[in-house]
Amino acid sequence: MDIFESVNMAVKTLTANKLRSTLTMLGIIIGNASVIAMVGIGQGAQRYAAEQFESLGPNVLFVIPGSDEARQRTFEVERALTLEDAEAIASQVPSVDAVAPQLQSQQPVTAGNRRISTLILGTTPDFTIVRDFDMEQGRFFSETDLQRNTRVVALGSDVARRLFSNTNPIGQQIRIRNLSFEVIGVMESKGAFLGNNQDDAVYIPITTMSSRITGNTSPYGTEVTFISVTARDENSINAAQFQMANLLRLRHRVVNEDTFTIRTQKDALEIVGNVTGALTLMLAAIAGISLFVGGIGIMNIMLVSVRERTQEIGLRKAIGASQSDILLQFMIEAVILSAIGGLIGTGIGVAGVSLVAVTTPLQAGVSAAAVIVAVSVSGGIGLFFGVFPARQAARLDPIVALRSA
Amino acid sequence: MKPIIQLEHVNKTYGSGETAVHALADVNLTIEVGEYCAIMGPSGSGKSTAMNVIGCLDRPTSGRYFLDEVDVANLSDVELAHIRNRKLGFVFQQFHLLPQLSALENVMLPMVYGGVPNKERRERAAEALTRVGLSNRLNNKPTQLSGGQQQRVAIARAIVNRPVVLLADEPTGALDSHTTQEVLAIFGELNASGITVIMVTHESEVARKTNRIVWFRDGQVLHDRLMPEDLAQAVTT
Repeated sequence: MDIFESVNMAVKTLTANKLRSTLTMLGIIIGNASVIAMVGIGQGAQRYAAEQFESLGPNVLFVIPGSDEARQRTFEVERALTLEDAEAIASQVPSVDAVAPQLQSQQPVTAGNRRISTLILGTTPDFTIVRDFDMEQGRFFSETDLQRNTRVVALGSDVARRLFSNTNPIGQQIRIRNLSFEVIGVMESKGAFLGNNQDDAVYIPITTMSSRITGNTSPYGTEVTFISVTARDENSINAAQFQMANLLRLRHRVVNEDTFTIRTQKDALEIVGNVTGALTLMLAAIAGISLFVGGIGIMNIMLVSVRERTQEIGLRKAIGASQSDILLQFMIEAVILSAIGGLIGTGIGVAGVSLVAVTTPLQAGVSAAAVIVAVSVSGGIGLFFGVFPARQAARLDPIVALRSA
Repeated sequence: MKPIIQLEHVNKTYGSGETAVHALADVNLTIEVGEYCAIMGPSGSGKSTAMNVIGCLDRPTSGRYFLDEVDVANLSDVELAHIRNRKLGFVFQQFHLLPQLSALENVMLPMVYGGVPNKERRERAAEALTRVGLSNRLNNKPTQLSGGQQQRVAIARAIVNRPVVLLADEPTGALDSHTTQEVLAIFGELNASGITVIMVTHESEVARKTNRIVWFRDGQVLHDRLMPEDLAQAVTT
């Protein structure tokens, strides 16, 4: 009996039992759809996070407090990074173009009778350069504002809308922690950066922030949460990293362990890649389990089918089917079930991923590799879980099989 | 005449030691080409076991079995499957038609395993169904056929590969008296055309249609070539 004949026979048997065949495939369909969708979404998240860092430009470096080791040891590292450090970097490191220290705190903000809670972000005028952030209206604060601790504020676009609706906010007063600030500008709409909505924030001079709102919380001076730096060009990134590290080590009188870490955009991309890669792997593993369970479902139904069809098997043997003919027939049935289930599942997975791509900012996409792997794995699962029932069938004694009522 | 089936000192034992059951004990039986033979006997007499051995569905524990002058006692599974396909045709009490296939497709099945080309299969299957009087039922599913028609499809399936021996295991057991006569008439015709027919039955009227009755008891051939008039006596003893 040739393979075409066997496939034809298997299709006939499977279509004769449509409901059962469909239910059996369901496990594989769900398993395959979830593998495709999970991997697609995971890779989308990976790409999304990577794009966020890439949008900063390749010349950006981050100085964050605490060494890598310290961050692994404890949840709260020493607040060693200060505004004075940022100033020193700006004035003493030649390979650096712009320096934007950042100090942030969530605070209530009121304008007239409207009251919201938003992120207050203290920084320097260089922030707009480092982040490539433009104004929608008015101006960002200046060096002079910084030196004089003036109470001026630039609003994120969402905040401006929530506090002032359609009226022009420029020149109006808002209150942050009961201190009144003059609105001098509204930022352009920028969207989220790593999950933080940059439009739902207000920007004030970092000096005003530390003297009026947060206070001096570091024993070394005016604490900053982190410092963003841009190097002069791509070739000076390594120099900037080296020079900043040396400067900070001197300033902090470091003898053994660093009190800070400097990351380049490349480092950040790598870390994001590692984290989201692990996430993708985890999602794929969970989905893989459901694919495995689907395979067990196929084995289960095939075993029932062998039981139910003992007479058929006996008859086939009596009219000349050999053990290998019977084995092949049941194997093919299992493989067809899982392969078709795999294809349908892939279709659903692709549809799910496309839906995610349309409805969320995640650039979820289906990779050809994921499809090929999922379909061949589900076919393989049919083969693997089909062997046992098929062997049971092939080994049936024809007399016993024919006699069973 | 040329012997088609030759059992020599055939034993078939199930189990071992004290619990062993000797289903066949030193059976010697020769059936010649063209015979129409009934195998009878009380239940547990070994008649079904004999039928399974003759049908190459089961191997004897010891002894020799020549089918068409070939010793089949020690053939492999694949070789036995081939012999069942080519030389033997089976008819069962429960018909054993595949419900998802039409009458024609059911009859084509042995040729599928025999590697007959597709076109020839259809022709031969239609021919076999015509021979049993079902030329107008080719595309009916088994559930659309009466019991007698189903058994005739089964007979067509048994003869489609032109076997030398037709083996029937209680072929009329599930049929009423009218259709029993129809089926027996077909067996008679097939035998007249040269096919050796061997039939296990417990019905005396059915056995009387054959020209040789072999009576089994306790795993042995108690009577061979039993005269129909002695049948009543044999049944009671």
